[in-house]
Amino acid sequence: MKKILFSLLLLLLVAGNAWAAKKNLYVYCWSEYIPEAVIAQFTAKTGIKVTLSTYDSNEAMYAKVKMTGQGYDLIVPSTDFVSRMGKEGLLLPLDKKQLTRLGNLSPKLMNQAFDPGNTYSVPYMWGSTAMAVNSADPVAAGVTSLADLWKPEVKGKLLLPNDMRSVIGLGLKRLGRSWNETDPAQIQKACELLRPLMANVRVFDSDSPKQALINNEVSAAILWNGEAYIASGENPKIRYIYPPEGFGLWLDSLCIPKGAKNLAEAHAFIDFLLQPKMAAAISEEMGYSSPNLKAMELLPAEVRANAIVYPDEATLARGEFEVDLGRETERIYEKCWTTLKTGR
Amino acid sequence: MSRSLKIAYATLVYLFLYLPLVVMVVYSFNASRFSMQWKGFTLHWYDTLIHDASLIQAALHSLAIAAVSATVACFIGTVTALAIHRWRFVGRKVIHAVLFVMMMSPDIVIGISLLVLFMTLSLPLGFWTLLMAHVTLCVPFVAITVHGRLQGFDPHVVEAARDLGAGEYEVWRHIVLPMTMPAVLAGWFMSFTLSLDDVIIAFFTTGPTFEVLPLRIYSMVRLGLKPEINALCAAMILITAVAVVTTQGLLKERK
Amino acid sequence: MKDSRFFRRVVVTAILAWMVLFAFGPNLLVLLASFGHSRGAAFVEPGLSLHNYLRLLEPAYGRILLSSLWLAGGVTIICLVCGYPFAAILARTRPPWRNWLLLLVVIPFWTNSLVRTYAMIAILNANGIANRLLLAAGLIQAPLPMMYSDGAVLVGLIYALLPFMVLPLYAALERLDQRFVEAARDLGATPVKTFVRIIVPLTMPGIVSGCMLVFLPALGMFYVTDVLGGAKGMLLGNFIRDQFLTSRDWPFGSAASVAMTVVMGFMLLLYWKSNTRLSRREWT
Repeated sequence: MKKILFSLLLLLLVAGNAWAAKKNLYVYCWSEYIPEAVIAQFTAKTGIKVTLSTYDSNEAMYAKVKMTGQGYDLIVPSTDFVSRMGKEGLLLPLDKKQLTRLGNLSPKLMNQAFDPGNTYSVPYMWGSTAMAVNSADPVAAGVTSLADLWKPEVKGKLLLPNDMRSVIGLGLKRLGRSWNETDPAQIQKACELLRPLMANVRVFDSDSPKQALINNEVSAAILWNGEAYIASGENPKIRYIYPPEGFGLWLDSLCIPKGAKNLAEAHAFIDFLLQPKMAAAISEEMGYSSPNLKAMELLPAEVRANAIVYPDEATLARGEFEVDLGRETERIYEKCWTTLKTGR
Repeated sequence: MSRSLKIAYATLVYLFLYLPLVVMVVYSFNASRFSMQWKGFTLHWYDTLIHDASLIQAALHSLAIAAVSATVACFIGTVTALAIHRWRFVGRKVIHAVLFVMMMSPDIVIGISLLVLFMTLSLPLGFWTLLMAHVTLCVPFVAITVHGRLQGFDPHVVEAARDLGAGEYEVWRHIVLPMTMPAVLAGWFMSFTLSLDDVIIAFFTTGPTFEVLPLRIYSMVRLGLKPEINALCAAMILITAVAVVTTQGLLKERK
Repeated sequence: MKDSRFFRRVVVTAILAWMVLFAFGPNLLVLLASFGHSRGAAFVEPGLSLHNYLRLLEPAYGRILLSSLWLAGGVTIICLVCGYPFAAILARTRPPWRNWLLLLVVIPFWTNSLVRTYAMIAILNANGIANRLLLAAGLIQAPLPMMYSDGAVLVGLIYALLPFMVLPLYAALERLDQRFVEAARDLGATPVKTFVRIIVPLTMPGIVSGCMLVFLPALGMFYVTDVLGGAKGMLLGNFIRDQFLTSRDWPFGSAASVAMTVVMGFMLLLYWKSNTRLSRREWT
């Protein structure tokens, strides 16, 4: 009896090993962020099975990856989290030899302050956080700059992101400072400047701000371009404006977290996504801008010409990426955020 | 209350409960991808749903974990409630207090502290860790409901049974458990609901091999909920309801 | 007799072991974390200081607590007032129907809460179903701004939590001995008096469990206030989540969680002390 059991166990082990020998890749990202069709093609071509897990915020992903330290091979953090996770040693340096198609990427999005030399990250998708107005509303039609948002007639018609950095960034931009200001006095000044703006806010929403715009609940909003792209498709009266004072840029990058087991597979996947054909397919399906220059040539002309997705260079120069500020500065931002939110 | 007034009130409450559900089902047939405006009837979302194997798998995972954790939580919760009600022992007050603290703890605190526990025990994250976490989440709900029913419960019935020679086990099996059954049933329903809907605890306590539906849905917000999700929720309601109805029917037949 | 003592010991040991591992242990961790620091990259640096609790005394945090208690209290009272007659109707229905009606109460909750909340937006928004019906009926001239108000949050929370009130009430009312009610009537009590003096006291444990199951989760439910209330203001749930995720200040978040538990515990203790009559009905 024991012998039979033993051999059965052995068989199971062998079978288990054989199964494990099949190549796997564990990707941790926003749901629907990588189209199913692209993954299917990757699996068909390489035989690597891709398992997707999802998170709903950078913060939550960061906490989980930091605490578990294993289980995932590829993550897609935003710029500030790339810099934070890189500094904390939570990311593995990429092996550039395995990434043959890096040259396809726009040099303007490479080698940024959040990851100098792209040690840890390869840009996947980018966009802006700027202003959308519904020109059907005469009040909102008159809004052309950040300063206009402070006008008393905007009261009850404004949507801001429910996100500390994006809101305080508005104040800083109005002061003509950097989105990543670290001088406590300037942050404090921005905070004071923002206090009266709070009275104009009807909603804080950074999950699905397009809904409030489409449903005519608000007529001016600060949101990211993908949301504005969809909203303007639903209602052509909704226009996207890059404020003259400046605006935020966001970029999600492919990174390999520390503790990743399937390194070769992860690199193969990144390189696969860098193909112009794949990058174009992704950009078309998601409505976000691709950092892949070669992919742009494959995109339909009306997408390339759409300023919401691809702003011109002069506009782009006013944008700024978000960088991790470190604990001390962050505390000042948080304090400001709490008083802004509870001081009403 | 007169009979017609009762019926009217109950109908009103059910209407309140089902209105959003009706909206959800209606929108699952809406041709527009993002809008809340009606853009025409389509079965497209049901079609894409059938072909989205990973989404269906996440839904099945959710149903499985909800059913198992509700059942386990009902067992543990009922026994706990009976024990603190029936016996006086060292730690009885402590259990009371701990149940209360568990109810109070925000989901994120439960999720993170359990993840720390699982990492300390070096358990691989997946079905089992999620099951343990959800049982922990649900037990206080069951225990408090059952305990509420037990209070003021006529002790003479038990004394009579004792006098007639029933042992502790018989007392539980034949008197106490049947008496608590409605509360246990209510507790099961609550636990099933809690587990099916939990996202924060699940986020921290499950691993890449066992993805559940709420994680998928909350993560979709960034790119917009697909009407496919509405279709899935409609299908899930139908499936769970049919499953519950058939089990009830089967149980009745066995009796 | 020996047999039953053994049974009892096994059961009690099992419960205690389970509790120590999954409830007591993690909660102890939270308590320990609340005395720590968060300075470097680590989530918690061990320490023994009360500074996190002292920080909680700042007025901004007091406002968060008060507005949360206010909202959760309102939700609980409305759920109780609406849920009690409903649970009574369910409990007085004949058995084969009763279970089906009970099932009908929970079925809507087997969909995802986020999907349900989005459906609520479709009903309440400016172009929504509610406004269109009112406009068509000629009751209003312009759409009412129902979204992003306290009312919308209240409706959303009541919707999410009503079954947690109805189910325990149902369990208590179903057990209610109708002979007491009949006796009171026979002795000439008015329906109101019967309700206040007989029915309410007899179902008190159910009322208490229901209120707890609604009040406590209501403090922590942040997605409803975020989505339907427009995330204006901050509530305990959001605040604690932000401490853990956005601010990465776990010790402070833990301290807030512990403080909340202590405050609630104290309130509950006061309640129990004033109602010893009700909770002392043991039968050992």
